[in-house]
Amino acid sequence: MSRFVFATAEYASGDWESAPALPANLIDSVARYTSIEVAPAGVSVRLDSDELFNYPFVWLTGHLPVRFTEAERRNLKRYVERGGFMMVDDHNHDITGVFHQTATEEIERLFGKLEQVPNDHEIYRCFFTFENGPPHTNHELNGWGDDLLHPHLYAIFVGPSTGDRRRDRIGLLYSNKDYSSEWNFHPETKRTMQQDPTKFGVNLIVYALTR
Amino acid sequence: MRSRAEVRESGVSGMGGGARLGARLRVAGEWALRALVLALLVWSLALALGWGGKGAVERASTETLSEALVRWTTVAGPERVHVAFDHAPSLVERDWLAALVGAGTAVGWSGPSLLPTALAIEPRADPAGGVEVSVAAPAGALVVLRDTLGPLDSARVEALGGVRAYIPRPRATLDAAVGAVVARAALADSLELKRLLVLGAAGWETKFAVAALEERGWRVDAEVRVSPQTTVRQGSVTAIDTSRYSAVLVLDTTAAAYAERIGRYVRSGGGLVLWSPAVDAPRLAALAPGRGRGAVIEDEGRPPSDSAPREALSIAPITGLVPDAVVLERRGEHVTLAARRLGAGRVVETGYVNTWRWRMAGGEDAPEQHRTWLAGLVASVAYVGRLEAGQVPPSNAAPLATLIDRLGPAVVAEEVEAGGGLDRAVLARWLFASLCLALLAEWASRRTRGAR
Repeated sequence: MSRFVFATAEYASGDWESAPALPANLIDSVARYTSIEVAPAGVSVRLDSDELFNYPFVWLTGHLPVRFTEAERRNLKRYVERGGFMMVDDHNHDITGVFHQTATEEIERLFGKLEQVPNDHEIYRCFFTFENGPPHTNHELNGWGDDLLHPHLYAIFVGPSTGDRRRDRIGLLYSNKDYSSEWNFHPETKRTMQQDPTKFGVNLIVYALTR
Repeated sequence: MRSRAEVRESGVSGMGGGARLGARLRVAGEWALRALVLALLVWSLALALGWGGKGAVERASTETLSEALVRWTTVAGPERVHVAFDHAPSLVERDWLAALVGAGTAVGWSGPSLLPTALAIEPRADPAGGVEVSVAAPAGALVVLRDTLGPLDSARVEALGGVRAYIPRPRATLDAAVGAVVARAALADSLELKRLLVLGAAGWETKFAVAALEERGWRVDAEVRVSPQTTVRQGSVTAIDTSRYSAVLVLDTTAAAYAERIGRYVRSGGGLVLWSPAVDAPRLAALAPGRGRGAVIEDEGRPPSDSAPREALSIAPITGLVPDAVVLERRGEHVTLAARRLGAGRVVETGYVNTWRWRMAGGEDAPEQHRTWLAGLVASVAYVGRLEAGQVPPSNAAPLATLIDRLGPAVVAEEVEAGGGLDRAVLARWLFASLCLALLAEWASRRTRGAR
């Protein structure tokens, strides 16, 4: 059976590699808290390559403007429609920033409007429970970026409109909360933390693997 | 004056020895002719009473049959008819001929071009609907499937005979044309589908199996193990029985705790789909067609093609087949799909362990192909209730077999020509002619020797 491999999306524009320590921290958390078979190292995968489809969970982040190529757009749409899960995180945590403005424009051009994820959504309960929705990051609490506490995440919902589910599966999750900074710490640091900030990352992966 | 008898006696007595012998023989011949006449009269009487002989054979072909049936029924009641078919008769014609048989007419038929063909359609246990079509026909024959809107598919029968196909959106009836024979079958009932239960560890295979089945329209309960203490549940997994589930899908050993309940469920008629890694748990292996599995043969990372998608997937080969296991698919020497019956239920085991790659990385039709394939596995074992359809259109699923059943086997051409005996009218004419000749000969014999 296939192991879970943490994949970071490489895209032609911007700085896709802006959170290099994040994969290792999330892999560590998945291995620590769950029995999910996980590859010990992550990979990066080009958004315009066929290789993308070997990794149904992909993390995409950056600070700079995002302009997808036609091949990247085509692949991303197909990826999400086929059941892939993409997490897009604004590394600027700034709703007036260039990443947010360009990334959301690209996403909405492909899929339509991003929808607000209700704070009682399954993604906040599928492993650890987050009663108030997405956990805040230190960068929000310290007033950096747009100096806002973003209470919700946004998503592109996909899935069948028959059976028990009615397009309620998250295919693409968008965050302004800058988890890319929050979880991009040196792995050794985790030992000294009173609370593990990556727990919500475990929920993201468990959700992607189970829904 | 002497009487005729005296003249006859004196005539005889007045002859020489040779002439006397000839006269006696002549008298004996006259007696023989009288006996022959008597026999011919008895034969004619028997013929008149309907004993012996046969009526004229009325003949018809496929083209003239409908007119002939009317004539045979309303004008002339022939004793024997023969129909030369160049394609199978319609239901009305077949039953009409059978009625003639019932009315006493001997009906013979021939049709060397009629190939033995049988068609069966069964609704598939699949929310997407559709029917499984099975056609039995001689090896090498071309089978054309069609419905009222036109042709659907065609296939040539392999050496072992038979064609199987899945028709997604069938109409009320389906035809299978094999040469001059068209078999027609009608959907007689529909199925009552229940839910599916998926048990497995958190992973892409589990996720995409559930997704594919839900997209197909199945209602799915699932228990997905995330950690020893944490299970993500979908739906309420309560009793595992045939009143709730059409099939249970077990992806790995996380379902071992349910093995006993699953075993009871299958034996009572339920369906089980096993991924081969599940047999690492001995209690699950006891239910499987293969008691063991080989080491995983990893795929080479190439995208699954639309033409042979499963060739590009990793497999954990099925080993240790139980005696009643049936191998359904192989890759080289490795068994990749096998099935068995267990009590009243069925189990199918797949050795493909990362079919999710088929859906994600395959060609344009890959998601649909993956859904159809997985739904096919489920359909092959699923427990379903049946609901009878109200009105079923007429059908003829095995035209040649029913023709033989109604009219008897075909008569070969030589037998038809031989007729199996003289025609009764011809015989009567011959009898009459023979009778006249015998009487004339006897009378002439008597008159020429002077007797009356």
